[in-house]
Amino acid sequence: MDYSWAPLMGSLVLGLSIASIWLVAALGLTIIYGTAGVINMAHGEFIMLGAYAAYCAQAYLGTPFLLCLPISFVVVALIGLFFERVLIRYLYHRPLDTLLATWGVSLMLTQGVRMIFGSSPKYVQVPEFLSGNVSLGIMNMSSLRILIVLMTVVLIVGIWYLFYRTYFGIKIRAVTQNREMAASFGVNSERIYMCTFALGAGLAGVAGCLFSALAIVLPTMGSNYVVESFLVVVTGGGPLVGSIAASAMMGEFKSFFSYFFNSTFAQFLLFVLIVIVLRFRPNGLFANTAVRR
Amino acid sequence: MGGVLEIRDLHKSFDSHHVIQGFSMDVVEQTLSCLIGPNGAGKTTLMDLISGRLKPSSGSVRFRGDELSGLSESDIARRGVGRKFQVPAVFKELTVRENLEIAFSREVNPFRNMLKFRDKAMLAKLEEVSVLVNLENRLSIVAGLLSHGETQWLEIGMTLMQEPQLLLLDEPIAGMTEAEVDQTAKLLREVRQHSTLIVVEHDMGFVRRVADMVTVMHMGTHFAEGKIDEIEANQNVREIYLGTEEDAA
Amino acid sequence: MNGNIYHDKRAQWVVYIVFFVSLGLIPVMQADPFLLNQLAVFGIYGLLAMSISLCWGTGGILNLGQGIAFGMGAYGMAMTMQMQSQDPEFSPLPSFMSTNGLEQLPWFWEPFWSTGGGIFLALAVPTIFSLIFGALMFQARVSGPFFAIMSLAMLSAFYILVLDMQPYTNGANGISPRMPLEVAGYSLDPYSPAAYWLIFGLLFSLTVLAKLLNQSKFGQIVRALREDPERVRFLGYNVALYETLIYAISAFIAAVAGCCFTILIQYVSPDQFDVVFSITMVIWAAVGGRLSLIGAIIGAFLIQGSESYLGDQFLNSWHLILGFFFVIIVRFLPNGLAGLLEMLLAKRSRSSTEESPPHGRAKSPAAANAEKAGV
Repeated sequence: MDYSWAPLMGSLVLGLSIASIWLVAALGLTIIYGTAGVINMAHGEFIMLGAYAAYCAQAYLGTPFLLCLPISFVVVALIGLFFERVLIRYLYHRPLDTLLATWGVSLMLTQGVRMIFGSSPKYVQVPEFLSGNVSLGIMNMSSLRILIVLMTVVLIVGIWYLFYRTYFGIKIRAVTQNREMAASFGVNSERIYMCTFALGAGLAGVAGCLFSALAIVLPTMGSNYVVESFLVVVTGGGPLVGSIAASAMMGEFKSFFSYFFNSTFAQFLLFVLIVIVLRFRPNGLFANTAVRR
Repeated sequence: MGGVLEIRDLHKSFDSHHVIQGFSMDVVEQTLSCLIGPNGAGKTTLMDLISGRLKPSSGSVRFRGDELSGLSESDIARRGVGRKFQVPAVFKELTVRENLEIAFSREVNPFRNMLKFRDKAMLAKLEEVSVLVNLENRLSIVAGLLSHGETQWLEIGMTLMQEPQLLLLDEPIAGMTEAEVDQTAKLLREVRQHSTLIVVEHDMGFVRRVADMVTVMHMGTHFAEGKIDEIEANQNVREIYLGTEEDAA
Repeated sequence: MNGNIYHDKRAQWVVYIVFFVSLGLIPVMQADPFLLNQLAVFGIYGLLAMSISLCWGTGGILNLGQGIAFGMGAYGMAMTMQMQSQDPEFSPLPSFMSTNGLEQLPWFWEPFWSTGGGIFLALAVPTIFSLIFGALMFQARVSGPFFAIMSLAMLSAFYILVLDMQPYTNGANGISPRMPLEVAGYSLDPYSPAAYWLIFGLLFSLTVLAKLLNQSKFGQIVRALREDPERVRFLGYNVALYETLIYAISAFIAAVAGCCFTILIQYVSPDQFDVVFSITMVIWAAVGGRLSLIGAIIGAFLIQGSESYLGDQFLNSWHLILGFFFVIIVRFLPNGLAGLLEMLLAKRSRSSTEESPPHGRAKSPAAANAEKAGV
């Protein structure tokens, strides 16, 4: 074996970076699935819309990149709110149908964006200090990737605060645990679902804004993230801590496998590994225990 | 005195919460035992443990000498244990007839069932059971349209189609009208002639009418057992019910 | 007595006969080889929609990864046809392999020298894969949206694998065998009526078999577990086994469709494993009616037909229209067009029973007199 330790350590750091990308992509999905049980297949397209929102803000208004983050959040949250009101709210009790209906939405969004902006790639400019590399002792990493790790941490802390330290968070958790019971205590579950969906969509927008700097902006870019985001949620089982653990595990394994094989085969191995994990934990790593009959 | 069903020192805990604590019980062939006890005594959990829905933490459940704990739900059902749930579980989108047909599970091999279109033994059984549970005129109705009492009967009928040797009925008369309760009592006495029953029930009037033997559960333990008169006279039993539930008798 | 004619078994079989006889007669009336080829491809889409209907409609298992079986079948057939045009002595290696630096035929290509063996593998490999994957998932009681996501993930794993294994699969370029499939010395021209009838015959026989399966006790049990798997378990059936079997049968049909696809198109690429294509299969079944086999087939015909013929006018907005239509169907018609028909027929049979009493009275002398008096 002529593998030395330094590159292996490097691959672990890289795994952390991969994990943060997947986690930030999956945050919105986690919240929506964890609260309302909705599998939102249009999540990738919400990410794509966030990237286009950043592109528009920059191209037409000259907004600096970091300010695009809140703009993407608001724009995509409003779009999410719209779809929740006209479609999703009628389907909460039909999980498989929400999955299909949101896939229809994703088709429409991709095609709609393609008709407006065309199929050619768009680029988002990042400020000077984000375009360089930072030396981490054993390896260099792009400062943008470090920004994504930091943003992920910030968002997680924000969500944790919202869910566990505010009155709104108590209501969300009440509705998640027992909708009827929460309703009898005067919690309007419909409004909670609505807000959660908009919040989740907004988080996808933030992720999209971050990814717009990482890669080119295309109408089909959402499909690059959607499968991984779903796997993070499914493997984690729904709660926020589950998604964090799942993305960390997946990111590290991906990076670890890539160290020995090429990156696509690593992806394949990772998927197989997840199938095996689900064989033993069918409801994910951090699932709530089954409801009694 | 051994019985058709022997439960020995059964334990079940969820995390640190002990729901069943050292429960033992014997059920004699062709009797109807009623299981009573205050809410949270562990009656439904016990049913889950016998039928394989839950796995016991320790202890044994033996049916005709075979160990049941550790077997899957379907394997336990194959050995002749039928189960009616507390919340009636019928296939609401299918017709009453289909519900009963599916419940006839003498053949469980999927490949043989692919070639099965008409089954004389099943039809005979269907005729017998549908009369017994009073649904012979409702066969072509979608089960979701049945009244609450009829739904209970349909589920009892489904367990009968299974040709079980031991029937576990969880609250069979919940939500029934007086007349329906009478019918059900009659039905259970008829079923008892061929099989053994364990019935979880709160309604002491009903228990008095059908039970051969009454077992009282309290905090996951076997609290008392005897004929209904002995149980009703038992001062300790009265005490555990006081304040927690009205004594319907 | 006045039941909905939609549920009448005899009426259903009459519809089957009319449907398939009219499809079978098309080559007699229409000789344009390109049109025949295209209609035969529609037949393949019908097969796929029918396989989805069997798995999702009957069994409630939403499979977003049907492209796995379809793609494996298609690649298996492409490998078979490719090897038919290779010579064991002089050119044992397909040209894309030598361009990609291979010097020997990979071991898993060897069995495809034999046409029978190749077709057998094209069907057996996806079926066995589905048995294993299904058993893993269903024994762990993975169900509903979780299974849908896992099947989707598995599909995208295969997509990248096929794309990645360039020397063995020719990557994104795909495999395009030079000659049509040759069976027992007979070359099957993909533009001939024979090819059409082959596809049509398979669609006919597999659909009839699937319908019989639905009507058997097996189908009954699978329908029951769609609603409440736990209850079925307590009746004594091994639910995971039943789920795995219906899933694998459905995958087998998709594999057959995959083989036919390569026969007709003479080309296969990772696009057959594309996620969008697999979800499109689900759209066909949803629009036509997932609970009805023939409804799903018609759904495939309708959507692919309109894509081909309306697509020119709406080329840019086709996905927008498709997405919108699909959302409307899911929201308002969960059982698709077949469900709509069922509803309409139910209304008719109900109104005819409600109308009959006054109708009868009108015939009575008193009512007739009253009518005359009114006039």
